[in-house]
Amino acid sequence: MTATAPVPTSTTAAARAVDVTKVYGSGDTVVNALAGVSVEFRSGQYAAIMGPSGSGKSTLLHCLAGLDRVTSGHVFLGDDEISAMSEKQLTLVRRDKIGFVFQSYNLVPTLTGMENINLPLALAGRKADPEWLAQIIETVHLADRVEHRPNELSGGQQQRVAVARALVSKPDVIFADEPTGNLDSKSGAEILGFMRKAVTDLGQTIVMVTHDPVAAAYADRVVFLADGIICGDISEPTVDSVIANMRSLGD
Amino acid sequence: MWRVTFRGLLAKKFRLVLTSIAIILGVAFMAGTFVLTDTLGSVFDNLFANTTKGVDAVVRSREPFKASNQQGGGEQTRPPVPASLVDTVSDVDGVELAQGNLLGYALVTGTDGEAIINQAPTFGLPWFPPKQSVNQSNEIIKGRQPRAPDEVALDLKTFEDGKFKIGDEAKISFLTVEPRKFTVVGTFLFGGKKDALAGATLAAFVPTTAQEVMNRVDQWDLIEVKAADGVSETQLRDRLRQMLRDEGLSKDYESITGAELAKEQSDEIQQNLSFFNTFLLVFALIALFVGAFVIYNTFSITVAQRIRELGLLRALGASGRQVVGSVVLEAFVVGAFSSVVGIILGVLIVTPLQGLLSAFGIDLPGGSLQIEPRTIIVSFLVGTGVTLIAALAPARRSARIPPIAALRDQAFDSGAVRRRYIWGTVFLVVGVVALLLGLFGNMSGGQSAGLVGISALTVFIGVAMLSPLLAPPAARVLTWPATRSQRITGILARENSQRNPRRTASAAAALMIGLTLVTAIAIMSQSFKTTFRSSIEDQTTADFILSPTGFAPFSPEAAQAVRDELPGSTVVEYRFGTVQFQGDSIGVLGASPDFSKMTDVNLQPGARMGQFADGGVLVYKDAAKDRGLKIGDELDVNFPTGPGTLTVQGFFDDKKAMPSDSDWIVSTADWGGFPDPQDFYVGVIKPDGVSTKEAAHVVNKVADRFGGIEADNKAGFIDRQIAQFDQILGLVYVLLLLAVIIALVGIVNTLALSVYERTREIGLMRAVGMSRKQLRRMIRNEALVTATFGSLLGLAIGLFFGVMIVQSFSSDGITLAIPVPQIIVFLILAGLAGLAAGVLPARRAARLDVLDAITTE
Repeated sequence: MTATAPVPTSTTAAARAVDVTKVYGSGDTVVNALAGVSVEFRSGQYAAIMGPSGSGKSTLLHCLAGLDRVTSGHVFLGDDEISAMSEKQLTLVRRDKIGFVFQSYNLVPTLTGMENINLPLALAGRKADPEWLAQIIETVHLADRVEHRPNELSGGQQQRVAVARALVSKPDVIFADEPTGNLDSKSGAEILGFMRKAVTDLGQTIVMVTHDPVAAAYADRVVFLADGIICGDISEPTVDSVIANMRSLGD
Repeated sequence: MWRVTFRGLLAKKFRLVLTSIAIILGVAFMAGTFVLTDTLGSVFDNLFANTTKGVDAVVRSREPFKASNQQGGGEQTRPPVPASLVDTVSDVDGVELAQGNLLGYALVTGTDGEAIINQAPTFGLPWFPPKQSVNQSNEIIKGRQPRAPDEVALDLKTFEDGKFKIGDEAKISFLTVEPRKFTVVGTFLFGGKKDALAGATLAAFVPTTAQEVMNRVDQWDLIEVKAADGVSETQLRDRLRQMLRDEGLSKDYESITGAELAKEQSDEIQQNLSFFNTFLLVFALIALFVGAFVIYNTFSITVAQRIRELGLLRALGASGRQVVGSVVLEAFVVGAFSSVVGIILGVLIVTPLQGLLSAFGIDLPGGSLQIEPRTIIVSFLVGTGVTLIAALAPARRSARIPPIAALRDQAFDSGAVRRRYIWGTVFLVVGVVALLLGLFGNMSGGQSAGLVGISALTVFIGVAMLSPLLAPPAARVLTWPATRSQRITGILARENSQRNPRRTASAAAALMIGLTLVTAIAIMSQSFKTTFRSSIEDQTTADFILSPTGFAPFSPEAAQAVRDELPGSTVVEYRFGTVQFQGDSIGVLGASPDFSKMTDVNLQPGARMGQFADGGVLVYKDAAKDRGLKIGDELDVNFPTGPGTLTVQGFFDDKKAMPSDSDWIVSTADWGGFPDPQDFYVGVIKPDGVSTKEAAHVVNKVADRFGGIEADNKAGFIDRQIAQFDQILGLVYVLLLLAVIIALVGIVNTLALSVYERTREIGLMRAVGMSRKQLRRMIRNEALVTATFGSLLGLAIGLFFGVMIVQSFSSDGITLAIPVPQIIVFLILAGLAGLAAGVLPARRAARLDVLDAITTE
């Protein structure tokens, strides 16, 4: 447990989990996906969560993002406790304060790339700041593809649209769940590069789940999870340091 | 493969139930119709078995001709038999007792002054003491039998309905004599039951009085005969026939057994019921046709959704045939299940159905429900068959799924789009040609109606096949307001509706059928109503019109009373009859000789109205041309009472203001060829010098005095007739509602399947911030688009059919009238219903857990 002790009031943390547990099932089939996790992610940082299959890394991400309810403990987004929010409030938080990039099926097939990018704002009844929009489209190198429908885009292009969509509302945090899991290594590297740029150049905050040490090496910090607890936390990771840590988990 | 099919079915219970509803409702309506008409049939069988109780054989006049293919004619009746024939019959060996009998018109007025009439005949009959009576249907249960000319016995139901006590006075109206007062001396049961009469009323008089008040002085309708011990019914009948031959009477008279008579009467009613049966079955078939669309669409969608699963089966070695077999088997299970549930539901809805009909003025006698094997077999076969046929195309499509589909993400398109549009165009063209042929070709009414029906069917299929072409532009236009006001949910709804045009189009097509029928019927009825109104307003100068309260005609004495009490008035009677000419039955309108003073039938120059009264006939111009008739021609015709002649005295060319569409008009002054004079309508022009108020007073008093008659001024008469018409129209709309409901179930089903299919996408949209409210609104918008698209298609086809059908009647003077506000109301209602259809799928979509949805496979 190397995460800093939680501070109950205001912090600079963009997202925070306090003593979070998540239990699936009951009786004999009970699974402790998260067995008491406390962690916080700073604003303006690119963080990765790693761990073997079944380590609870995706569950942690879902709980942090308000997609899943915690069994006990608290989850904060900035100063707001999202673990105490109603479904309605959560919807607004997801729309306005959180960006998502999923592994696949990121886009609504009936909307063009541009419409997909604008979807969160459109749902909120707002319009994108044109300068910001131009900037993110430029960042993800999509200018000539945005009027196409998803089925006319390659997998890499689709993920770039997804990243742009996650950025468009200037969210407090972007949660990415294996964003390169379905891509070839070249497209994957592109996406990771864009996400890096979004943090470095545009000042965004990203929390990314991955099982790929190369992907993790793009981050500022890597948090390791195994059996539902945090068992490692390194800053300025390299591919080698990540692999080394992974190995130590396996032991 | 069997196990795969059943597992699949059970896994999707919700879908199965929703799909089944489409067929269940149609089958239920069909089974319910069969049970209802069978039940009515048994009620009438019972009734006629009772009317001939104790009767072994009858002697009666031969029917002068069989009235077939009647047009605007009256009911056919046999001439009476002379009372003197009773003695001749009594002398036949083997006859125990012979007695005349008759059933005439006798309308009883209750103690509250209201005529007792229930959409059924009001009968008068003679009462013989039981020992002298052959017929044993009736039995006094309270008081005594009538013994004096001013005494009457009533059947128990009439007695109770009129709130009579023994000894009360009852006013009774007849056809040929003024209403009279009788003392109620007793009450009797017919067939041992109070409600065995199917709504008819009975009043029994001493025999001579019965003959006098019912136009049968020294006559009977027939002679009922009881066999002596040891003589069978058929032996008796044969001896009676022998006697008739021996006496040279067999040209005019005939004899049949009591059982034969009961069967004959029952068959006649059954035939009338079969029209009713057909009427209801048409709506059941419409419902099933709509259900077929729903089934087709559901199976198309599920085959498309299971493409990976079916592809996997192929990859594992299943043949194309086996895959098709599994889909067909699923259809069979759905069809059989729905049919069984439908049949059970059908039996349960008989009573509500009867209640519904009664609410629209069609009162039917109740009885114990008759569930014939035919009901079950036909309903099952039709329900299962419709399901199988509808699922056939999607099933065949499943055979073309390649094994590789198991590995592909994208939906596999069968690519038969072009062929579909070609066939759609062929169907559409054939349908329109059939319509034109049916309407404007030279054929009989039945053929024409049949062809129009087939044409509608073909056009529906054609438009349904072509409608995917129209769905995307329609979706764009229809969602325009939503994309303005709600932006993103509107845009998403628009895109979703266009995503699979075939699916949207098929769901819409089901609703289209209902809207087409409703629109076409609205246009036709509005045209007929408008024409009726204007023709009565413009072509009739009557100040007052008397018409029957129910459907039973009334006594000509009423018209005579008006003539007597309003001297100088013009009183025109109208009645209906049938004659036979050159082998054809021809419906004739009976009208008072001076009718042309009141009703404008566009008499052609040269008409000799002076000679019309006495054996004259006026012939419709076209009909006269067809038969080559000229003024002055003497026509040999068969009247119901025997042969006679009619002389052509003129031609007319406008039937609109006539109470029937008869080709012939004969004079009521010479009505001897028809058995009983009964008026259906009487028009009155008040004399100069009498105020309208005074005249109205006199006319109303006469109507009251006779009972069963409504007296109205012209405007009131028009309103009353239109109200009666609207009542039937209302029933038609309610019955069509079933087809609309099934179509809505189809929209619910399509959307629910599409929500299921889009689980992942919905999860994504929820994850990036779509609220439940927005999600629900999006799905409801999709439902609205589908419903409105279907309604508009239906409206367009309905307009076309309605206008064409009305045009085909333009030679009869029917002018086109389009009830625009009513059609707009239909459209709005269909839209609202569409929104309602979206509620359930929208709720299901909104309930999806976001995380489950985005992690779903």
